[in-house]
Amino acid sequence: MMPRLFRLSWRFLARDGRAGELTLLLVALMIAVASTSAIGFFTDRVQRTMGQQATELLGADLVIGSSRDIADAWEKEAVLRGLQVSRIVEFRSVVLAGERMQLASIKAVSEGYPLRGRLQIADQLFGSGIHAKGIPDSGELWLEPRLFGLLDLEIGQDLELGSGLLQASHVLVYESDRGGDFYSLAPRVMMNLSDLEASGVIQPGSRVEYRMLLAGEAAVLDSYVNWLKPLLGSNEQIITVQQGRPAISRALQRAERYLGLTSLIAVLLAGVAIAMAARRYSERHYDMSAMLRCMGASQRDMLVLSLLQLLWLGLIASTLGLLLGWALQEGLVQLLRPLLPGRLPSIGFKPVWLGLATGLITLAGFALPPVVRLRKVPPLRVLRRDLTPLPAQAWLIYGAAIVTLVLLMWRYTQSVALTSAIVAGVITAALTLGLLLALMLRLTVNRLRARSLNVALRFGLNHLLRNTQVTVGQVLAFGMTLMAMAVVVLIRTELIGSWQSELPEKAPNVFAVNILASDVDPLKQFLDERSLARSEVFPMVRGRLITLNAKPILESVSKEASSSNALHRELNLTWSDVLPETNRLNEGRWWDTEQRSEMAEVSIEAQLAEKLGIELGDRLGFSITGVNLEATVTSIRSVEWESFRPNFYMVFSPGVLESFASTSMTSFYRPVDQPEIGRDLIRQFPSITVLDLEVVIQQIRGIVNQVTLAVEYVLLFVLFAGFTVFFAAMQASLDERLQEGALLRTIGASTKQIRASHISEFALLGAFAGLVAAMGSEAISYVLYREVFTIAFVWHPIYWLLLPVIGALLVGAAGWWGTRRVVTRSPLSVLRDL
Amino acid sequence: MDKRIDFRSHIPAIAIRDVYKEVTTAAGSLTILSAISLEIKRAESVAIVGVSGSGKSTLLGLMAGLDSPSQGVIELAGNCISDMDEDSRAQVRAHNVGFVFQTFQLLGSLTAHENVMLPLELDGRADAYEQAQLLLERVGLEERLSHYPKQLSGGEQQRVAIARAFAMSPTILFADEPTGNLDAVTGERIIQLLFELNREQGATLVLVTHDEQLATRCDRRLHLQKGQLIQPALEV
Repeated sequence: MMPRLFRLSWRFLARDGRAGELTLLLVALMIAVASTSAIGFFTDRVQRTMGQQATELLGADLVIGSSRDIADAWEKEAVLRGLQVSRIVEFRSVVLAGERMQLASIKAVSEGYPLRGRLQIADQLFGSGIHAKGIPDSGELWLEPRLFGLLDLEIGQDLELGSGLLQASHVLVYESDRGGDFYSLAPRVMMNLSDLEASGVIQPGSRVEYRMLLAGEAAVLDSYVNWLKPLLGSNEQIITVQQGRPAISRALQRAERYLGLTSLIAVLLAGVAIAMAARRYSERHYDMSAMLRCMGASQRDMLVLSLLQLLWLGLIASTLGLLLGWALQEGLVQLLRPLLPGRLPSIGFKPVWLGLATGLITLAGFALPPVVRLRKVPPLRVLRRDLTPLPAQAWLIYGAAIVTLVLLMWRYTQSVALTSAIVAGVITAALTLGLLLALMLRLTVNRLRARSLNVALRFGLNHLLRNTQVTVGQVLAFGMTLMAMAVVVLIRTELIGSWQSELPEKAPNVFAVNILASDVDPLKQFLDERSLARSEVFPMVRGRLITLNAKPILESVSKEASSSNALHRELNLTWSDVLPETNRLNEGRWWDTEQRSEMAEVSIEAQLAEKLGIELGDRLGFSITGVNLEATVTSIRSVEWESFRPNFYMVFSPGVLESFASTSMTSFYRPVDQPEIGRDLIRQFPSITVLDLEVVIQQIRGIVNQVTLAVEYVLLFVLFAGFTVFFAAMQASLDERLQEGALLRTIGASTKQIRASHISEFALLGAFAGLVAAMGSEAISYVLYREVFTIAFVWHPIYWLLLPVIGALLVGAAGWWGTRRVVTRSPLSVLRDL
Repeated sequence: MDKRIDFRSHIPAIAIRDVYKEVTTAAGSLTILSAISLEIKRAESVAIVGVSGSGKSTLLGLMAGLDSPSQGVIELAGNCISDMDEDSRAQVRAHNVGFVFQTFQLLGSLTAHENVMLPLELDGRADAYEQAQLLLERVGLEERLSHYPKQLSGGEQQRVAIARAFAMSPTILFADEPTGNLDAVTGERIIQLLFELNREQGATLVLVTHDEQLATRCDRRLHLQKGQLIQPALEV
């Protein structure tokens, strides 16, 4: 039985294919698979590359940080598992050159460092950097340029570090994993780890940061982390890309979500097209099914035949879709070649499986119900053409589509809550809009009809009213399609806008810290004379957080929070009359400077407050140069850490910290073509520490640009999938329209009249769909902005005007094009087919 | 179970006892056929005649097992099909019945050859290709194998349909107005072909027609009026 049906299903499929019956279904499914797999292939490669760039900023795929030396056993285990390992010891110490001395940030590194990213060194001061192969040789030091100025040092001269004498062999131009608490950073000195012990510079009690860098395959890293986790003490922590670089990881996360969401929308649109195409396919196979039943095929035979044909179709379309998807992403890679990093990783297998699965799931969910219905075609249809199978039950059609929707959504969002929220939202919206539309349609069309319209237009409008249910369905399908396209465009614009505003063209790229009180005004003058845009100048006092509500802080917070870096180092404390520029007040109130209270008040950064469990009204105790001080939390702020402006965990009310010795800090924008400003500044204010972040900013900007391009490309798929829906919808009603058009022409309607009736019908349909799209996209973007992308929501009045017009134009044009055969085929040939 | 007629027995090809067919419409219940009883012997040719709406096609559909009666018993080739479900009836059809229709009912997406192959393929016959070719040669369409129905004239289409109907060597052939869509000359040729093949294969022929000339060529005429069988005055 089965082999016979196997053979038959193939034969029938081949004949259908040759007769053009499958084209639309095949194309719709191919688009679904091609768009997911092209996006899948491309994002997989770009994400891996972006991940790679992010790891460059970390210097590794994963870092173990500790305030104590890291156990050798951990390193051995990592090596045993095939991971690359390198170690870093970082601390501050004084270096001496002749009579001069300077506090420096020393980084002792072992062979292999950096595991990700790169170092650039130069042979001469202000020379251009070249890629460093390896690390400083034993006995040598690499120094940041400004140290040469501060120490009045020449390349090749010796430097004292602890009891060691080491040669300043190169200028350290670029260090891709430079970062951390850069306000307090002293100039960098890099040395070979093997020289560290001999220098005797680290004594018990010294504040030292030990890090073990790891790199390797994700799965191996995961298993290593699982092995390591139970062994970690409170002072040891695992730092991943996400934790290490909030700015980049947030951009990455948003991009990933956007790409995922967009490809999901492309698949859903293709799904709608598939549902429409499958319905038409099914209707055009009633005769075939009736004939087969008449010849003795059982219902079971018909079911197996239909399922097998669907399966073959799914496999063929998915394979073609995968090939097309591969070609499309390859084309994109070529297109973006100059912007992409030198070598992209090769294509992964994951997108292949996902593409195949998406194809089959989409086909099953959207095409199965109408096709399975074929087995219900009564054999009596051979005598009575009007007999059609009972329509598939609504719960079956919608149930299958909803299950598919949930499956696909869940795969992309990986969140049950988000998925159910979206699906519930879509269903509620579709029902509400459907009812509303039916009402609107009746009102509008009746009103239009009442006027003396010409016969062609009236015919078109009657078409809309004749079957309200079908019209509402079409308007919803077009509306959802337009809406999906609108949402994608809208979010793209907002996302890119918000990235760019976070990193504006003239984002501050130089930080000046350790500004003495006497230097504040001259520095302001220096910057203002050169018309350099600068942030506020913040006073800064360093102190440790030691108590929470009079209890030692480490005892008051959870074990997890107690390892927080902020509790183990001095924090930069500042004070301000007003809320700093890029900060936002989440809870509490900002102090009133007119009515200065006696109480010491402090405003804490939101993420830190959440991590440590600090709430409004809590009393925080600080130790500042040995003096203890208590302040009450009166507000909680969120801070844009990516803003490249001075940002603080703790901001005090004025009058609390002024008595302590303080320095100040500010940031400003140095035009890229004026590097001499940094030098002049150091010369004029030798005590100020200048941190030039231009390279880091360029790096982040590069990532944002890449992501933006990817986002725009992906948008094309959605547009393409949207147009397939239009086309499928036109095709779906084509048979009926052909017949109707032929009859009309037989009784004397002109081509022009028929065309006019089609265009008026579709344009009105499109205008309604545009209205639906405007409503829907506002609602969806409201939820997405708030919940997914965390951007502030704004209304888009332009959408309410533009979308109905675009809808009328698009659907009108698609209708005009899709139904052109109605007037080009001769009425006789149409009627003969009946 | 072999559902083909055993020719050594005296089982009639079709036996109908007290059959009613009613349909429910918006206007209430409508009786299409009432109290029909008849027998058709093997190898007999029978014409069902009557005006439009007299229930001819409904009776044909019931005899062929394409539909089930509201009441009464129908036996087709010794199988009581009025008690069977659709799938069992399909099995009986598969082995005993061939059809020819007024509108030909060829599948537009298949060539003439493929249309004839269809029942053979459905039965899993390995020689479907050759058998269909022979049948098309028999009806004089050997030049038209790869043509689609659209590319054939009405008469040619009906010849393809006849070839398809005889593909499974049916014991009973049902024809619903086989010449209804054809001009007189072409219709005559089709009728000749139908009767020839019928004789060659020794099959029972049941046809519904308006065409008196065609009806007189059959062994017997069944006259339907308002859903009831009336005895023709001229026949004894």
